[in-house]
This record gives sequence, structure tokens and C-alpha cells, in this order.
Amino acid sequence: MNYKKFIQYQGMVGMASTMIFPFYILLLKNAGTSYAQFGWAYGLFALTAAISYPLIGKAGDRIGDKTLLTVYSWGMALMLLFFPLATEIWHVYGLQVVMGLLGAVQKNSEKAVLARYVDKPTAGSQIGNYHTWTSIAAAIAVIGTGYLVDFMTIASIFYIASVAFALSGVLAMKMPTAETAPAFLDK
Amino acid sequence: MKTYIIAGIYLCVLGLSAYLYFSGLHGIETSSHNRLLPVEIKAVKAGASEEGIREIVLDANKKGDKISIAGMQHSQGGQTLYPNGILLDMKSYNRIVGFDKKAKTITVQSGATWNDIQHHINPHGLSLKVSQSQNIFTIGGSLSVQAHGLDIRNGGMMDSVVSLRLLNADGDIIELSASEKPELFLAVIGGYGLFGVILDVTLELVDDELYEVSTELFDYRDYNRYFQEQVLGNADTKMHLARISISPEGFMEDMYAINYSLADGQDLLSEYSALKEEKLIAAPKLLLGISRLNGEGKKLFWDSQKTYIRTIDGKLISRNNVMRSDSEFMEYSNAAKTEILQEYFVPVNEFTGYIEKLKILLEQEENFNLLNVTIRYTNQNEKAVLSYAKEDMFSLVLLINQEADAEGIAETGRVVRDMVDLTLDHGGTYYLPYYGYPTQEQMARSYPRTEEFFDLKDRYDPEHRFLNMFYEEYRQ
Repeated sequence: MNYKKFIQYQGMVGMASTMIFPFYILLLKNAGTSYAQFGWAYGLFALTAAISYPLIGKAGDRIGDKTLLTVYSWGMALMLLFFPLATEIWHVYGLQVVMGLLGAVQKNSEKAVLARYVDKPTAGSQIGNYHTWTSIAAAIAVIGTGYLVDFMTIASIFYIASVAFALSGVLAMKMPTAETAPAFLDK
Repeated sequence: MKTYIIAGIYLCVLGLSAYLYFSGLHGIETSSHNRLLPVEIKAVKAGASEEGIREIVLDANKKGDKISIAGMQHSQGGQTLYPNGILLDMKSYNRIVGFDKKAKTITVQSGATWNDIQHHINPHGLSLKVSQSQNIFTIGGSLSVQAHGLDIRNGGMMDSVVSLRLLNADGDIIELSASEKPELFLAVIGGYGLFGVILDVTLELVDDELYEVSTELFDYRDYNRYFQEQVLGNADTKMHLARISISPEGFMEDMYAINYSLADGQDLLSEYSALKEEKLIAAPKLLLGISRLNGEGKKLFWDSQKTYIRTIDGKLISRNNVMRSDSEFMEYSNAAKTEILQEYFVPVNEFTGYIEKLKILLEQEENFNLLNVTIRYTNQNEKAVLSYAKEDMFSLVLLINQEADAEGIAETGRVVRDMVDLTLDHGGTYYLPYYGYPTQEQMARSYPRTEEFFDLKDRYDPEHRFLNMFYEEYRQ
């Protein structure tokens, strides 16, 4: 896996997910009528993730991180298309379960890629560098979206984020595999 | 190839989602009657001129649009909403346009809040004459619902209005006061925005004063006597509020009062005159949250209030700071979707008998989640067409936690209508800005001039340029 390509991909994903994050909470608040429901929506997210981590971990070893990241990107792209249509609290609960699953895929794969490809003696600085760029991307996305909301509806933000995830899906599919780029050092 | 296939599938779902979303949007427009949502919202921009507002009205005349007028939108009966209409948001029309320290008057645009006025007049040692218990509301909104507050000496809110200017449906600006076109003036105050846009208002002010807080615990049977002798009978007492227990222990029996009386050393006022800003409300918010759950929680909440009032006994506070109340934090700070308010006015002499009956009524309603009852006093004031104080009244504000589904609405509606009937049987009235649970008959019984009110509306605004859900519901 290529270090630069991986950062580009994670930057894209980070942008797309931080873009929706603040507004995603707004949607939950609109669909839910109590803090208890709000708590449940997030609880389901975390619970699904907890249950799916062991399976995802094994799957990553067997079918490869690249495939999982591709599934994550396209999964999110499709998922977000349903958010503007959610009107009932059970819609949100359903979406949260899928989001929990996909979120776990991303988290686990991200760490697995880093663990597999990072050069151990310089792991600290490599991961630091990786986080710098992905955080910058996230910051740009969330600040930019703040301005966008003045002009657009929240639904359109979900659509834009969905398209960003779709692009990240293309990036993921184009990413070189271990055979072509065995470690981050060979960038 | 694989990429193209996946991208192709994605684009199909994207198209489908967008189609469903936009066709759904369209559906709201046509069925918005049930949703109470205005489709077009026209906000008056900050610093907007009265000419700008006039143009919105004239433009609506041309296009046949209906206008609903909004301030902070804390009314709960659709008074600020009309489906498919223009929502005229007045919040930015909030400048102080005149201030006469010597004559003790201030002229403000109607979107200004009581807080805005307080910030302007406090440095000059002046205070509001009459205001709402909380200061977050706009002047235009408070006048349109004819609000009342803690002050027991200065009459109703309209008595502090020197004059106001109204923009009517024809786009004319009319000056109104108790002596100038009184008929329209008395319909506009408590007129729920149905007669035109209140542009600016001149209000009387009084001197800021230093008060000493005194608190008292008593049984509801002693309240009227206590109030007459210790509160009204003490010329130094200027403001008052009371609460009655919603705890299972002493339910609708135990009461406490908080009074504000002229302090001995008025020269100390300057030490206390700085305006208090928002206090930490985490603790009361938590307690109110617990009280929503069950009887134990309600007991805890009530007991903590009793402890709290002991700690404020004897403290000094400026009049302006009393009028930016934090003791009423619960009234709105937790008004989530499922929390509603009711307010009933009962003649002072009916209070004891009324509470007895109300207690019996509420004890039969196990699922009715009552969280707070605040009691204040309001002088007789029958000037407004829709006036609620036929004689000197105690007002009870009830905070109720209810289910938001159809069943919850039906259930709460039934209890509310029973409570309104009980109130009417005791010569009382109910307050109009809240959710439309009461029936048309109950409104007519409560407000004998209801028909006259709506007739006036039709006479002054025959095209119904200014309209809201309240009118739709109660026009008889």
C-alpha cells in the first residue's frame, strides 16, 4: 500500500465524515424527541461496532484491508443517501446500526493498515504525519461546511458527503496493494 | 470495469434518493396544514427600516399572501404561524429609538427584548414598570399576548404603554394609545398579531430600587389571608410569586412564597445594580429532569426548592435583577417537544376552594405528569378586548410533561379541558397563548367578548392579511 495514496484516501474519507458529523447530530435531534432516544441512537452505533470488531478484524486479515476500505467507502456513500429520507426515530436507529458496522470497518482497517505498513523505528513520526494531513482535511471540511449550510439545506450536505465517499471508493479501488507497494517506506 | 459498475449502481441510488427527497418536500407544501409549518419565511433583516416592513405587507397584498408575525415564538397555539404564509420575523427589528431619562420613557422597536431595554436603562438607574417574569421575550410579542409578571403594584402591561405605532394591512402607520383610537389599541394589546405589525412602542419606566427577599412556607388554605395581609397589605412589598407542591407529599397543599420588598438602605442600591447574567442552571435542570421520572423525583425537587428559598431569605437584590428572573428557569428552559404550559386565572377569593377541587381532579389523573405550578398575582384589568383579569386574580402556570403522540395529545387535552371547566366554574379564565386544547365554547365562556374580538379583526383587516393558526382554530 502506498503511503501517499493512503493519506489521500483517508483525507477524503475524513473530509466526508466530518462534513456530516455536526449536522448528523442535528438530524438525530430532529428525529428523536427525547435525550433517551438520542442516547439509544448512539448506543446502538457503539454496540453494533463492538459486536462486529472481531469479525472485521479476521476479515481484514483474510480478504485484505483494501477490499474492506472499498466496502466502507461505497457503503457510506449509499448509506448517506438514506439520511435525508429519515423521518422516524426507527429509521435513525436502523441507519445507526449500519453506521456502527461501517464505522468499525473503517477504524479497524485504518489501524491495521498503519500496523502492517508503518516502518517500526519511525512509526511515531509516520503516524504523526498521517494524522496531520487527515486532520487538516477534516478541519477544512467542517469549516467549509459551516459556510455551506448558510446556502444549502442539511439534506444537500448529506448528498455532497455521499459523493465524496463515492470518490473515496474510487480512490480505494485504485490503491496499490501489498504486491506493488510492500511498505510505506517505498513511496 | 468493476469501478464503473459500482459507480453506475451508486448513481442510480443517488438519483432515486434525490427523487424521493424532493417529491417528499413537495408533499409537505400541499399538506402543510397538519404540519403547522410556514413554507416561506421572510425575516426582517437587521436594521430593517419600517419602510422595508411596509413593503413586505404591500407585496403580500399584491400577491394575496397571508402574514403571521413572530417574535421569540414561545406561544404554543400557532399564534406566530400560518401554513404557506409569510412569517414576519421581527427579532432583528430591535433598536432603541428614543429614551427620555427625565420623563422616564423609552421608545423601542417591537423586536427588542426586555433584556435589551434593561441593558439600556440600568446605567441610568431606571427600571421597567411592568414586564414578563422572564426577560427573553420581545416587546411586540409580550404586548400581543398581554403578558403579566411579578409586579403587584403597577397594573397590567398595557398600563405601562404610553403609545405604539401599528402598521396595518393597507400599509398605513397609525399611532395608538389609551386615548388615541382606543378601540384598536385595546384590540392590539392581546391581539395575537391579528391587527397589524406593532412597529415601535413607548413604555413608561420607574426608578430602580433595592429589594429585600423574604420567603415563607404555608398551607394553601392560608395563602389568601397571607397574601392579603403580608403581601398586598405591606406597602413596601412590590413583587411576589408562590409555588404549590407537586410532590406526592403535600400535593397541592404545601406552598411557599418569595416576596421582594423595599430594603431599608436604598443608598446601597449601586452595589447591587449590576445586571446579573445567566446563572448556572445545571442543578435545577437536573432536579427538574429527575422530577419528570416519578414521585420520588418530584419530592426531591420540591424539597430542594424549600431548601433553596431558605438560603435566599434576607438577601438584597435590585428591581432590575428581579425582573431578569432566574427563579423561573424551569418555565421554558426545559420546554422540549413534550413539555407544555397552561395558565389559569382564578379570583383571589376563590383560590382555596379551587385548589381543593383541582387537587381532586389531578389525583384521579395518574398519568398526568405535572412538574411545576407557579402562582402570581394580577390586578383586575378589563380594558383589553380579550382580557383575562375580570377581577383581582391569582394566576397558576402549570408545566406539564406529555407524550407527543396522538394518544398523549388526546389524553392531555381531556385533562386540560376538565381543568379549564373547573377554572371557569370558579369564575376564572384561561390564558390563550398555549396549545389549542380548550374548545371554542370554553374560549367564549372565558372571554365574553370573543365574538367582538373576531368581528373587530374582520373590520380592521377585512382581507385577512394577518392570519395565524390561533385565528383558524377559534374564529367562531
